[in-house]
Amino acid sequence: MSYCINCGVELDEELNSCPLCGFTIGKKDITKPIHQSEFYPSDIILLHKKETRRHIWELSGIISFSGIVVCTIVDLVIHKSLSWSLYADTSILASWICLTLILLTFRRYFIIIPGLLITILTMLFLFDLFSPPVNWFYGIGLPITIALFVSVSIVVVLWHVAHFKGFNLLAFAFLVLSGFCIVSEVFIDKYLFNAVEIRWSAIVAVSILPIALVLLFVHYRMKKGKRLDSYFHV
Amino acid sequence: MKGKGIDTKSMQEVGWLKLDNAAKLFPAIMSGELTSVFRITVFLKKPIKFSAVREAVEITARRFPYFSVSLGSGLFWYYLEFNRQLPRIQTEEKIPCTAFAAKRKNEPLYRILVKENRISVEFIHILTDGGGAFEYLKSLLYTYFRLTGNKIQVTEGIILPESPITEGEMEDGYKRFFRKKTPPPVKLTKAWHLPYKLNDKPRLKVIRSEIALDKLLEIARSHNVSVTEYIVSVYLFSLQKIYLEEKEKVKKQTRGVLRIEVPVNLRKKLPSKTMRNFSLFVLPEIDLRLGVYSFDEILKIVKYQLQTGADIKQIVRFLSQNVGHEKSPFIRLLPLFIKSMAISAVYRKLGSNQCSGILTNLGCVKLPKEMEDLIDSFELVPTPPNTHVKISCAMVTFRNQLHLNFGNISRSTNFEMHFLKHLTESGIPVKVLNNK
Repeated sequence: MSYCINCGVELDEELNSCPLCGFTIGKKDITKPIHQSEFYPSDIILLHKKETRRHIWELSGIISFSGIVVCTIVDLVIHKSLSWSLYADTSILASWICLTLILLTFRRYFIIIPGLLITILTMLFLFDLFSPPVNWFYGIGLPITIALFVSVSIVVVLWHVAHFKGFNLLAFAFLVLSGFCIVSEVFIDKYLFNAVEIRWSAIVAVSILPIALVLLFVHYRMKKGKRLDSYFHV
Repeated sequence: MKGKGIDTKSMQEVGWLKLDNAAKLFPAIMSGELTSVFRITVFLKKPIKFSAVREAVEITARRFPYFSVSLGSGLFWYYLEFNRQLPRIQTEEKIPCTAFAAKRKNEPLYRILVKENRISVEFIHILTDGGGAFEYLKSLLYTYFRLTGNKIQVTEGIILPESPITEGEMEDGYKRFFRKKTPPPVKLTKAWHLPYKLNDKPRLKVIRSEIALDKLLEIARSHNVSVTEYIVSVYLFSLQKIYLEEKEKVKKQTRGVLRIEVPVNLRKKLPSKTMRNFSLFVLPEIDLRLGVYSFDEILKIVKYQLQTGADIKQIVRFLSQNVGHEKSPFIRLLPLFIKSMAISAVYRKLGSNQCSGILTNLGCVKLPKEMEDLIDSFELVPTPPNTHVKISCAMVTFRNQLHLNFGNISRSTNFEMHFLKHLTESGIPVKVLNNK
């Protein structure tokens, strides 16, 4: 008579592992338990979420590729060549790759963020390439996209490391946004006028600063303990 | 556990079932926390033999084919689809009454949990209530005991695996006893709720207690009330204590109505053999705007309210109102997603506000003596309460033990403390059990 030391149930002699928890009992070859991923009730919820994400991914794949085919054929029939459909097809493909990254690498931000960055940069580069010569990608597209991703990454990291997700996070997000606006204006000015003069981004920054300060004041002095999810719940 | 099918031809021919009136609420409101799942556990005197459980589950599932269903969604309503699936046999995890992936294709809506010397069944309320689940568990236990070599001569009160399945077991009892043109029940005011902060997710914590039944019976009889009436009174009295404590702290307390939801098994009141949901609520209450109540006053009020509330005419009145909503042509024609949103909104705004607490009583378990001798105890874990009610309570009696479990999603155990302290101060021995 053998017992599983995890579940405490009595098992048949011929069983090498507990069918309930997968714990290996015997000294014989380790065989796979019957239901590898269904030991606990919550395993099924995780399995269901995974399946739902896969279904959404498959459906989005069908819709995206149908869209690409339709755009390409319509363009070919009307213009006898690929013109506007190149932009449409590239956008659809890039969107689907982004969705794939989000759905299939569930919350693995170290894969999602660089993956999204590469996809969007490639899309912008291709847009520039479709109307040669390549000119705006290196001047504006590349630096602004990188600045946007750095900003978003800072907010994501803050969200994850913050012990308390309150108005303080909202304030820091506003500050990051004003920083992003300044960087964007620098590159736009440099590209368009070959000279940098901070104007609109400074207005944005000085407008955002008091809002951020008010939010920080509310968080640290008045409503400490107010969580964003409870405050904004619908 | 997937695999062998359930060989019940007529079930396969029917293919699907409408949800009963009570079950229609749950798909719209259930979530990862408000799971609508309850658990009945039986503690045996010996460790569980896994292979016998597996075989017993297969045999019992054939006798209860209407439980081998999954949730399907139509254009207007959810429905139950026969799927020939056996329930999964799994091991317990830390938190009981975990959600089902009910909207997953072919997903069974009940599960069997096995650990050490205990077998638990967890049912989602879409499928059945405590009464139906308990009939299933009795049948499962009977089969398990026979498979493990025990002889059970007397089988009264148990659905045997070889007994024929009757149509009545699948009926919607609510619809059967619906009466047209019944005046609607009186509208209820909002009830007061425990003011505690919620636990972090996963929220549910269970406090288990064992109460000496003989002493409880003696005290209840001395007050000329039943065990349920006594426990409901303790519930209200404990809530009143907390209300008064809070009133000291917060001067402006508005809602002063304390109301407990006590489910009533309608199979005992109306001639139905259904194994699907067939229960309604009685709502004993005290209104603290009228003043503070002594325990004896509460006992009198609760006794009167439980008896009048469980009156058959009152029950049919509530039942007819609920079924009446379902029968309305306007509601029937609303697409499912709109209906679900509306049900969820109405539940959040009205349904969950009307009571301060819930007390489910599975009653006194009676089994053949040969089976009782192999069993140590029974326990019932209530469905996780909503965020207004915060604490729900469930009890079941077996031999000289009353097991009272509190399902708590708040950070405070003050209520349980008041409740159990009142019992011990009344001279009733209480043992708080370890969560295994």
